[in-house]
Amino acid sequence: MKPAPFSYERPRDLDAALSMLAASGGSAKIIAGGQSLGPMLNLRLVQPELIVDITGLAELKRAEVSGGELVLGALVTHADIEDGRTADVTRGAMRGVAANIAYRAVRNRGTIGGSLSHADPAADWVSALAALGARVTLRSLAGARTLAIEAFVIGALESALHAGEIVEAIHVPARPASAHWGYAKSCRKTGEFAHAIGAVLIDPAAASARVVIGAIDTAPIVVTDAAGLFGGKIATDYKQRFDTRVADALLAKAGIDDAAQRHIHVSVLKRAVEEAAA
Amino acid sequence: MTTIALNVNRHAVELPAEPRTSLADFVRDRLDLTGTHLGCEHGVCGACTVLLDGVPARACITYALACEGADITTIEGLDEDEITTELRAAFTREHALQCGYCTPGMLVSARDLVLRLPDADERRIRVGLSGNLCRCTGYVGIVRAVQSVIEARRARSVAPLADSGRTSLGPAGSGRAASGRSEPSPARQAPVPASERAAAVSIPDFTPATVLDQRFTLPHPPAKVFAMFGDIAGIAACLPGVSLTSPPGPDRVEGSIRVRLGPIAASFEGAARVERDPATLSGRIVGIGTDERSHSATQGEIRYRLLPLEGGAATAVELSIGYTLTGLLAQVGRPGLVRDLAKRLVVEFAGNLDRHMSGAPSGQVAAAELSFWSIVSDVLRARIARILGRRSGAG
Repeated sequence: MKPAPFSYERPRDLDAALSMLAASGGSAKIIAGGQSLGPMLNLRLVQPELIVDITGLAELKRAEVSGGELVLGALVTHADIEDGRTADVTRGAMRGVAANIAYRAVRNRGTIGGSLSHADPAADWVSALAALGARVTLRSLAGARTLAIEAFVIGALESALHAGEIVEAIHVPARPASAHWGYAKSCRKTGEFAHAIGAVLIDPAAASARVVIGAIDTAPIVVTDAAGLFGGKIATDYKQRFDTRVADALLAKAGIDDAAQRHIHVSVLKRAVEEAAA
Repeated sequence: MTTIALNVNRHAVELPAEPRTSLADFVRDRLDLTGTHLGCEHGVCGACTVLLDGVPARACITYALACEGADITTIEGLDEDEITTELRAAFTREHALQCGYCTPGMLVSARDLVLRLPDADERRIRVGLSGNLCRCTGYVGIVRAVQSVIEARRARSVAPLADSGRTSLGPAGSGRAASGRSEPSPARQAPVPASERAAAVSIPDFTPATVLDQRFTLPHPPAKVFAMFGDIAGIAACLPGVSLTSPPGPDRVEGSIRVRLGPIAASFEGAARVERDPATLSGRIVGIGTDERSHSATQGEIRYRLLPLEGGAATAVELSIGYTLTGLLAQVGRPGLVRDLAKRLVVEFAGNLDRHMSGAPSGQVAAAELSFWSIVSDVLRARIARILGRRSGAG
């Protein structure tokens, strides 16, 4: 259970890191907190020739509110968010999610950018940030581009990151005062990867809702116009109007053939809706 | 080897180590601080938990080199610590340890909970200790011990410190290292190409661990499709990720299949045996392959049967795909993902076949290869998820 040998570089700034990545021709791997990559290295599932440790890059450790949105550098940790060391524009939604990621010892090193880069469908941020309508900025030597989270995660462990590109920042829009938040997940053991995730951002005043069904073995189902899940319209009685049959059909359409699995996902989503309405 | 300078239990330490040396191995093997235990070595069991800049961290998935300049406190450094002293007494009183293997990590996590939790809520303590596994299952005593220390301290008006007093952003232990690099690691031995061995290998029949049935239709007559299935090189070109290492014979082919999943890459090199029965328009391809890097091996077979549709103008292709995977990559696996993979694989394969038989330019076939990687990736990903599936979204 020891990693295969690798070389190690600690770049002085982001440009140096991007240059190392570009020069490696795909044989280098970025490491931040290492809480996902570390196990893979130890199991030798991943054997990069070069590890580029970006944890020293101060420019990726910022957290600021700008233009009504929160901009988090990729190196902000789950514990940073849990403890409120970063500003919160989601009225507690992100703190709640962060506090239930894995274990405290993992949250103290695991980063939001690393978790997204890893693009595990069962990871919390993949679903939670999609429901919150967050975007991610990717940077390479060629420049930067910004994508919606649901466009960034494209499959199991597959993101839109190109070779030579890294996650630089996450942009989280402010949660409107009228918007309700619900987040639920099912884990066989506390802290394990979720087997089902439900995340909802429902704004009855604006008659809008974003609904995410996550941890489905591929990119999450992101419903940006979720009226169909609530009998065609989103109003204050959305909890009563929530239609489990529509959720079940969404899962079936996404290729979840096992009725028991669909039942678990629908139940967890229902819990998230109930939490939002509570 | 690179020289690593950090502080362990308030002593400055400067010692050479390889970049791949974990913090746990560093303190155990180089400093003889064997109180830090190693259980799972992939971040699940919590036995290796130490304090890194004052907060708990997994020493098995934190590399020593990544902790340059940081303050590390192992269980040996907590002898005089006030909270740990109280916890030790409580662990003794409540019989909170049996074999003691989890105890160092348990004490480090328990100390963090005593510091941070506002009260001795049993559920919060249990959740807080969920990342530390006790193989003797002595959780009741451990939880009671932690509860009693929290109660005693709050009764003495010692306020909790919810954020452990940490003020800086970013991974614990980071931020105090200068930029730099390790000396390049020695070049790895190139593995013997599997194709050199494959020639001698016989391809046995086997019973697949997993079998998936798939069906698709092609707008070509069965005889034409059957002829196509006999064109090994053509079929290989339609199976994305597959490349042949030598010209195929009529009943035997050697080659490789590359798969990539996120950071994981595997290349299975091997050989396949081809059987065909013109009378029933059916056939079978049985193959074996090994991936040197991950020391994994696979056996696979594709059985096919062609049925006429639309009065013989079109063909229904019935596929039965079976495989068995052994070795490192086999430690992971979720059937749901594999089914999803097989579906997407067959869709790609069918599309490629149709394009190939309709005389589409090869560029389109090559383009499909990339998407095949994403498909096979799902299978691997399934495997990884099970290995790593004990912690959520860690990053």
